[in-house]
Amino acid sequence: MHGAAAIAGIGESTYYERGGSPHSEFQLACIAIQRAVEDAGLELADIDGFVSYMDSRNDPIRLARALGIRNLRWTGSPWSGGGNNSCASIQAADAAVSAGYAKHVVVFRALAQGQFGRFGQSGGGGGGGYLGGAFAWNAIYGLMTPAQQCALHTARFMHDHGISQEALCEISLACYANAQLNPRALRYGKPLTREAYHASRWIVTPFHLYDCCPENDGAAAAVVTTAERARDLAQKPAAIVAAAQGVGPAFATYTQDTLGSSHYGQVAEHLWQNAGVVAQDVDVAQFYENFTGPVLMAMCEMGFASPDGIESFVKDGALQGPDAKLPFNTSGGNIGEAYIHGFEMINESVRQIRGTSTCQAPNVERALVVGGPGYSPGSAVLLGASA
Amino acid sequence: MTRVLGDAWPLPGLDDRNRAFFTAGVLMLQQCKRCQHVQHPPEDVCEACQSFDLGGFESAGAGRVESVIVVHHPLHPGMADIVPYAVVAVALDDVPGVLLTGNVTNRAPDAVAIGDRVEVTFEEVVDTANNVTLKIPQWQAVDG
Repeated sequence: MHGAAAIAGIGESTYYERGGSPHSEFQLACIAIQRAVEDAGLELADIDGFVSYMDSRNDPIRLARALGIRNLRWTGSPWSGGGNNSCASIQAADAAVSAGYAKHVVVFRALAQGQFGRFGQSGGGGGGGYLGGAFAWNAIYGLMTPAQQCALHTARFMHDHGISQEALCEISLACYANAQLNPRALRYGKPLTREAYHASRWIVTPFHLYDCCPENDGAAAAVVTTAERARDLAQKPAAIVAAAQGVGPAFATYTQDTLGSSHYGQVAEHLWQNAGVVAQDVDVAQFYENFTGPVLMAMCEMGFASPDGIESFVKDGALQGPDAKLPFNTSGGNIGEAYIHGFEMINESVRQIRGTSTCQAPNVERALVVGGPGYSPGSAVLLGASA
Repeated sequence: MTRVLGDAWPLPGLDDRNRAFFTAGVLMLQQCKRCQHVQHPPEDVCEACQSFDLGGFESAGAGRVESVIVVHHPLHPGMADIVPYAVVAVALDDVPGVLLTGNVTNRAPDAVAIGDRVEVTFEEVVDTANNVTLKIPQWQAVDG
């Protein structure tokens, strides 16, 4: 039933630097949801489902109470990890409305790390104590954070395919360049130069500071309904042409055959099979950049370039601006717009389909979103101007 | 020996799955008794044949660095004296497919490269609170 569902409305809070939100995380969620519902031309009372990911704080029952939603038919949350599930959450909402279990499902992500503490800090120490469970195997050796985990894959990928630091730099430069066109973006008015990138400190080789996305506070939401209902609502629908998940190795597990990978090979296989098109049919793409290196791997695994050809695919600003060969992270992405766990990329893809992006690619028929690379399950969604 | 990440670095919290790995003093991995598959980290079930009948496999501990990173950013002020340090992923000669992570004890962080040959060594630490001697697998670079 691909194309049976569509995104009918999008909304977001103002985005803030980490700790900069005047609102609680829950209030941010409510702002984004209200705006998405209003954008769709719906009332809050029309909402009968909620999906999020890596979110145990803003739960559906709490939201239903706060937003006056009396008739909740569907709740769901994809398992494991974090931003890797940004697109799986759209898939879960598609499944619900396509099957008729709910009519209007809100998918969202809210995070206020100022209020609740930061990701990517867990499992480490230095002040004694013990590391147990899955953390014991790697944190004992100082391998703890997502940056470090993704770096281990990126280092091998670069080694195997002769990829230079410039290729990583290009990802960050493109996000910053496109953010200069987007007043919502936290890096708006703060351009990045190649020289500043290379001069920035090492976080973990091969990642400089600017290879790592910032941490931010904010929320973004989208309303998923059937394509049929969406046609009668306020906005041009963004059809959910296909969505897919795919797996790689278990958390904290490294294997020879998956080293140097972002674990998106299976996502690509499932997505293109479901969609009936290939990467080269995509007009604009958003790739979740937790770190720059995994984006290069994900681009290859999704079918946009070969590993040996990825550096020439991205070099010399090839990804920057609306007229790029592959318009990429057109709102600025996690690095340039805001780190809303990749959900800002869902909303940006809807804007591309509507023709309202601040970095609008020409004649967009298909807009791709690729979720967080390097963790499993990965997920991706292909939106279309038509199903 | 002094630990690569300093003597204040946390210790493994021992459980039934990881006790042999962190205390045996040889490189002890998990092996299926039915199909002889070796897997890491250990699980409750054999990933190759789904047997629950799992035992140990003693690796000779010789291998090759498959990837290496150098950590520069201290996660908290207590790590300022520990960085920079290198983390490696090592493939074992006698266990195809599996990678182990660790540190290289006898090389500077920036002197470790993909392709380097390594052998297992052990950081011996007494966990006085639990009255157990830990022998944490680590790696030393060898010529050739």
